[in-house]
Amino acid sequence: MARSEKAVVVAGIRKSFGSVAALRDVSFEVERGEVLGLLGPNGAGKTTTVNILSTLITPDSGRALIAGHDVVSDPAGVRRSLMLTGQYAALDDMLTGRENLLMFGRLQGLKKKVAKERAVELLEQFDLEAAADRPVGTYSGGMKRRIDIACGLVVRPEVVFLDEPTTGLDPRSRQAIWELVTDFKEAGIATLLTTQYLEEADLLSDRIVVIDKGTVIAEGTADQLKERTGGTYCEIVPRNMRDLPQVVRVLGPLLPPAIRAALSETSDRISMPAPDGPTTLMAALTKLSEANIELTDIALRRPSLDEVFLALTGDHAPGSDDRTDKFAAVDAYA
Amino acid sequence: MTGSLQATRSAVPAAARPRVNPIQQWWVLTVRMIIPTLRNGELATQIIGSMVFTVGYYLPLKEMMGQVQPLSSYAQYLTPLIILQAIWFAAVSAAFRAATDSVQGINRRFRAMPIPAIMPLASRLTASMYRCCIALVVSVGCGHVIGFRFHGSVLHILGFAGLVLLIGATLAVIGDLIGIASQNPEATAPMMLVPQLTLGLASVGLQPVDRFPDWIQGFVRNQPLSQWVYALQALAGDTTDAAPKVTWAVMTPSLIWAIGAGALAVVLHRIVSRRRR
Amino acid sequence: MARSSPVQEPVTQAPYRPGGRHRVARVWENSPRRLVPQVLVLTVRILRRWSRDPATLVQSLVMPAGFLIALDIVFGDVIKQVSGQSGLYGQVPLVALVGGMTGAIIGAISVMREREVGLLARFWVVPMHRAGGLLSRMLAEAIRIVVITLVVMGVGMALGFRFHQGVLAAIAWAFMPALFGVALSAAVLTLALFSSSTLVPQATDIVVAVLMFFSIGFVPLDQYPDWLQPFVEHQPVSYTIKAMRGLSLDGPIAEPVLFTVLWSVGIFAVCAVPLAIGYRRASRRG
Repeated sequence: MARSEKAVVVAGIRKSFGSVAALRDVSFEVERGEVLGLLGPNGAGKTTTVNILSTLITPDSGRALIAGHDVVSDPAGVRRSLMLTGQYAALDDMLTGRENLLMFGRLQGLKKKVAKERAVELLEQFDLEAAADRPVGTYSGGMKRRIDIACGLVVRPEVVFLDEPTTGLDPRSRQAIWELVTDFKEAGIATLLTTQYLEEADLLSDRIVVIDKGTVIAEGTADQLKERTGGTYCEIVPRNMRDLPQVVRVLGPLLPPAIRAALSETSDRISMPAPDGPTTLMAALTKLSEANIELTDIALRRPSLDEVFLALTGDHAPGSDDRTDKFAAVDAYA
Repeated sequence: MTGSLQATRSAVPAAARPRVNPIQQWWVLTVRMIIPTLRNGELATQIIGSMVFTVGYYLPLKEMMGQVQPLSSYAQYLTPLIILQAIWFAAVSAAFRAATDSVQGINRRFRAMPIPAIMPLASRLTASMYRCCIALVVSVGCGHVIGFRFHGSVLHILGFAGLVLLIGATLAVIGDLIGIASQNPEATAPMMLVPQLTLGLASVGLQPVDRFPDWIQGFVRNQPLSQWVYALQALAGDTTDAAPKVTWAVMTPSLIWAIGAGALAVVLHRIVSRRRR
Repeated sequence: MARSSPVQEPVTQAPYRPGGRHRVARVWENSPRRLVPQVLVLTVRILRRWSRDPATLVQSLVMPAGFLIALDIVFGDVIKQVSGQSGLYGQVPLVALVGGMTGAIIGAISVMREREVGLLARFWVVPMHRAGGLLSRMLAEAIRIVVITLVVMGVGMALGFRFHQGVLAAIAWAFMPALFGVALSAAVLTLALFSSSTLVPQATDIVVAVLMFFSIGFVPLDQYPDWLQPFVEHQPVSYTIKAMRGLSLDGPIAEPVLFTVLWSVGIFAVCAVPLAIGYRRASRRG
């Protein structure tokens, strides 16, 4: 596989289950060593996508390549290259952690001695040494997830699929998995991370792909996505509400007419678009301080990824007024 | 708070919480057990199972055992045991259902709702009784085909049915207990088949007690299955004089076994299900 | 972080840390050479599970013993009177078979559970031979049945069972129940893969009960009504018992063994394709 090839290529995948169109034209790519976050509400098609990419389901049309192997024509190659771990840590719960690791190692061709050493390494790395000889069925949720991932790493994959890896975990276990994702990055392994947690996607992903109703509705870095929904704005809160008209006058051309018009008697702050980011902020601050207006707060704010997400997935609700969109989006998000 | 959420759109229920009605709960839980069986063939297996036990015991043994038993026909002698085996088979299915539920965790959910603790067990018992009734009817019907007849009064017949159902309830509770205790639905069903056959063999249901070796006669005579067979033979009666008589001496042991084992099973059930948090 | 250069690989790879033994060799996934060790690993897994489950152990080891003893007590004398031989030579094989067959349900249902939990999918995504999972199930069943046979044989010998045909025959005798038993397990698993999990144990219990009641291991053939005797004589459990009787006491060997093999192979042949399809479907998700 040439060094320049991408780790994951998905092009125009479609999949329907009976009359339900689960995926309608999904396309994205993942570079080697990149972490791609796959974001979307429940039922959006994230898990179906992951299942197709791990050869568990055949797509109706389209192409998908994992490490250069086509999922339809070379599923064996795909299986050699990837590691899949899911929401429901799937292990033999009557075997101990060590026995599970040994089993997966030997299944993939490691000699017994090598498999044993590898098991010891992984147990240490994942902090499971104390529980190594207890049946996995007795592990806590976080431990199960850790041993699940460990079993996937017995033999080195090129691509890792983490399907909602931290759902239902306590913060400490979550943290551990986040560190693991960073390790993958450093090792040059591509990671496809499906998650519902926006902060997780924001924190870990190099890029984010937003899926809703079976199709990709947005793609880009977290920052790019945030820019899409209104971008950075500068919030100015004068100490005295009555100073507001003066602020408006002072800001002059910096403040678009639309915002000016939207101000009312009860407004206590101004939210001004800041296309140049800090430069706009400095300009506003300079003007305001020249005019000696006292402020309580002036800051650059970005929309949170929550707002991005809601706006993006709300956009696609079958057209109705704003309020219904919010409800649909909230329900879906929940 | 009038707020921005319109009351008509709220997902949070606004009306006051309805009163809990135990009877309604019991009915809902019971129906939940029964309806699927009408669809997925469990009803058919129950019926076929009852028929298989009849034919399976009767046909091979008719010749060998027919001569050595005291009643008018082997069918008359054997049918009580057949009925008990069919009832046991019904109880096994109940055990499987209990174990599956327990493993799937739905019991835990029920425990957190205002449902009396006894309710899931009660509804499973009811569903088992429904199976027992079918088993009873089918096996009496099969018994009729091979020659079994009721010779007692109507009271005796009612007592017959009542005793069978009581035994069925006991076996269902025991099966349920095994299901919950083992947490292993897979093993529950086969685990109960072989003891069923074994105890059936080592009872007076197939042949009279004096046909057994001396050293085991005590066990054979006194084991619950034998006592139940005696009681049922008494209640069914016979054209000859050889059937046991309907006296307290005959009835009491079987009633004690049925009620006693049942009560013990219920108590153990409470203990085990409380431990299985 | 320093990126080490690729080790030994002619093709450029993603940079990775030193210690490249954790790379899977580029071997064809369905290579027969790799199949045997893979199947062994998976079979050991299943056997380990069983050995850790007390319910399975009891069902496999304790209950057949009790059943055999009961059969011997109740029917032993009568059969001896009627047929002139000890009933044990039919009962020991019968109990071994019944033990083997009832256990088939356990195997089938654990497959269903593993499907639900996602373990089957997990195994499917591991780069190993596609048939590994199924073959390991069958092998584990065979081993289980042989173990049950040996246990029942032990109990039988305590009751008076003896081998009269020599060591070789005895060894063949020990594997006969596994022959038909595995075929039946395949059938039960196929049924389980295509229907609801509450139906399978009950239906299998019924089939096992029928095969048991109407076999020559239960009572001698002439005890059955004439119209039933053909069925009793030609059903697979009867053939297996007849073969085993020949191998331990005396009587025809070649013919019943042949028919046992025919029944087993026949059942396998019917089930093979649906089984493979069903297992594959259960491992994948749609």
